Amino acid sequence: MAFSPVFARFLAAALGDEHVTERAKNLDVSDAGHGFDRFGLHPDFIALSDAITSPLYEKYFRVTSNGSEHIPASGPAILAANHSGVLPVDGMMLYADVLRNTHPPRVVRPVADYFVSTLPLVSTLFARCGVVGGSRGNARALLGDGELLMIFPEGTPGISKHFSRRYQLQTWRQGHAELAIRHQAPVIPVAVIGAEEQMPSLGKIPLPKGGLPFIPIPAVPIPMPVQYHIYYGEPLRFDEEYTPDDADIPERVEEAAARVADAVAALIERGLQSRKGVF
Amino acid sequence: MASILVTGATTRLGRSLIERFLSDDAVSHVVAVSHEPDSEALQFPQSDRFSYHCVDLGKTRQVHDMLFGPARDHKVEVVVHLGHQEDPYIRGRRVHMASVEAVRSILSLSDRHPTIRRVILRSYAEVYRVRMDLPVLVTEDHPLNLSSTAPQYVRDRVEADLTACARMGLVKASIVVLRCAEALESNTGSQLYDFLNGRISPRPAGFDPMINVASVDDLATAIERATQGSEQGVFNIPGYDTLPLSEVIRKWGAKSFPLPSALLRPMFRLQHLTTGSTFEYDLNQHRMHFGLVLDGTRAQNVLGYTPSNAIQWPHQ
Repeated sequence: MAFSPVFARFLAAALGDEHVTERAKNLDVSDAGHGFDRFGLHPDFIALSDAITSPLYEKYFRVTSNGSEHIPASGPAILAANHSGVLPVDGMMLYADVLRNTHPPRVVRPVADYFVSTLPLVSTLFARCGVVGGSRGNARALLGDGELLMIFPEGTPGISKHFSRRYQLQTWRQGHAELAIRHQAPVIPVAVIGAEEQMPSLGKIPLPKGGLPFIPIPAVPIPMPVQYHIYYGEPLRFDEEYTPDDADIPERVEEAAARVADAVAALIERGLQSRKGVF
Repeated sequence: MASILVTGATTRLGRSLIERFLSDDAVSHVVAVSHEPDSEALQFPQSDRFSYHCVDLGKTRQVHDMLFGPARDHKVEVVVHLGHQEDPYIRGRRVHMASVEAVRSILSLSDRHPTIRRVILRSYAEVYRVRMDLPVLVTEDHPLNLSSTAPQYVRDRVEADLTACARMGLVKASIVVLRCAEALESNTGSQLYDFLNGRISPRPAGFDPMINVASVDDLATAIERATQGSEQGVFNIPGYDTLPLSEVIRKWGAKSFPLPSALLRPMFRLQHLTTGSTFEYDLNQHRMHFGLVLDGTRAQNVLGYTPSNAIQWPHQ
């Protein structure tokens, strides 16, 4: 019952406003035959997540969006963003921002760390909203289907970075660049400003491998009402300079990933200079 | 097309295939094989183009005599091997012989057989490893479940599958391995069918993985297409229906309730002991948490197979 689309539809209607209803009506998601896509996404759960995140997006974090015209209206593409904040609120806000600023609304597919699929309830609810496990095969299949991926190349070291390292990109993984080159998909660099101060991390307690990688030690029990600013950069079109075969050349992939990291760092710099305060 | 030999002829899929082959005038004869001794009780179609043979596939001599006896006499060109142990609670050397050594024998013997030119092995989606860090959508190059802790039911299927793969290009006959989605019907060896038809069907609380199920009609279509071509290789054969486990349960009208994962093994063990259910939790543990959906692109491109027959769900 808890995961039933009927229940999700009822809750979305109860919690959402007319904008949520309008966006839900215009959603275009693939259906594998029973209302779900092959990874478990269901439009009623997208509407529910839209309804739930609306007050957070509009009132609590007061998200401003800049450059959303750079998000392609269709076809495979990758959003690559900085990651921070102990809890993946940056992912939620970016997801909500893409839904609001694309016409018709586009559902971005967040690529999550492996451990997410081991978490009861969370794994299922995330899957219904479009989150997929971070395996290359999943990402490959989604790009092949023309989907828009959301990747945080810093991974869990990014989300758990110490407060003193805020807005400093951690080790920038290269998988997104390899996928982009192989599938000739544009990468849209994204900077999320605000998340790095929402829940200052003081440290973490590592856990044995297999499930949750660590227990965070945040300075505050819940995210603070910082203001979010999301910046989308111009798409990096690797198809103009790279052939799909370049995805097998480590130097080319490394070079492409570095270009994405530089673009995200430049957007972060721009965002930090433009903002007037954390709250 | 010339004659076809079908092992596992008494299974639901075997019967469906035999009916199809007999309705195809291009098939000159169907040699049906299973371990059931009483052919009359099996109620196979009456036809001059059909013959039934009781063979214990676990015995190499009987496999040899069948291939170089009736199969040679009827000039069998294509062997469709469906025979596998379907009850995971039946284990041991004899089961291994029937599930794995039979495949090895058929392939070895086909190399010196005067008429066999093609061998189709029905394999299973269960051969794939399911783990949190592996894709949900499974292509043919997905890792196989080679875990030493896997039940014999899985290990035998993986070994049979790999035995066939290892002989591709090395024997005269072309070999096709079809890794089929689970057919949600009785007498198909479906664990999910047993799960849904148990008195209670507990499932892991908080998890609702995606499941792909096939109809017997679709699997028969895929096998029929494989008999007609000349390509060899491994192909995933998905079914038409892809949906979460909770939806499978709801549409089937089964009684299910979520339980903490730690309680499921003893619950299903108890169910097996009290009701004789053949559902084994160890076989399905990962699939009930992380899901597995076969990607049928290769079968579509090479065999021209696309699933088209939905399951007839009792509760839509």
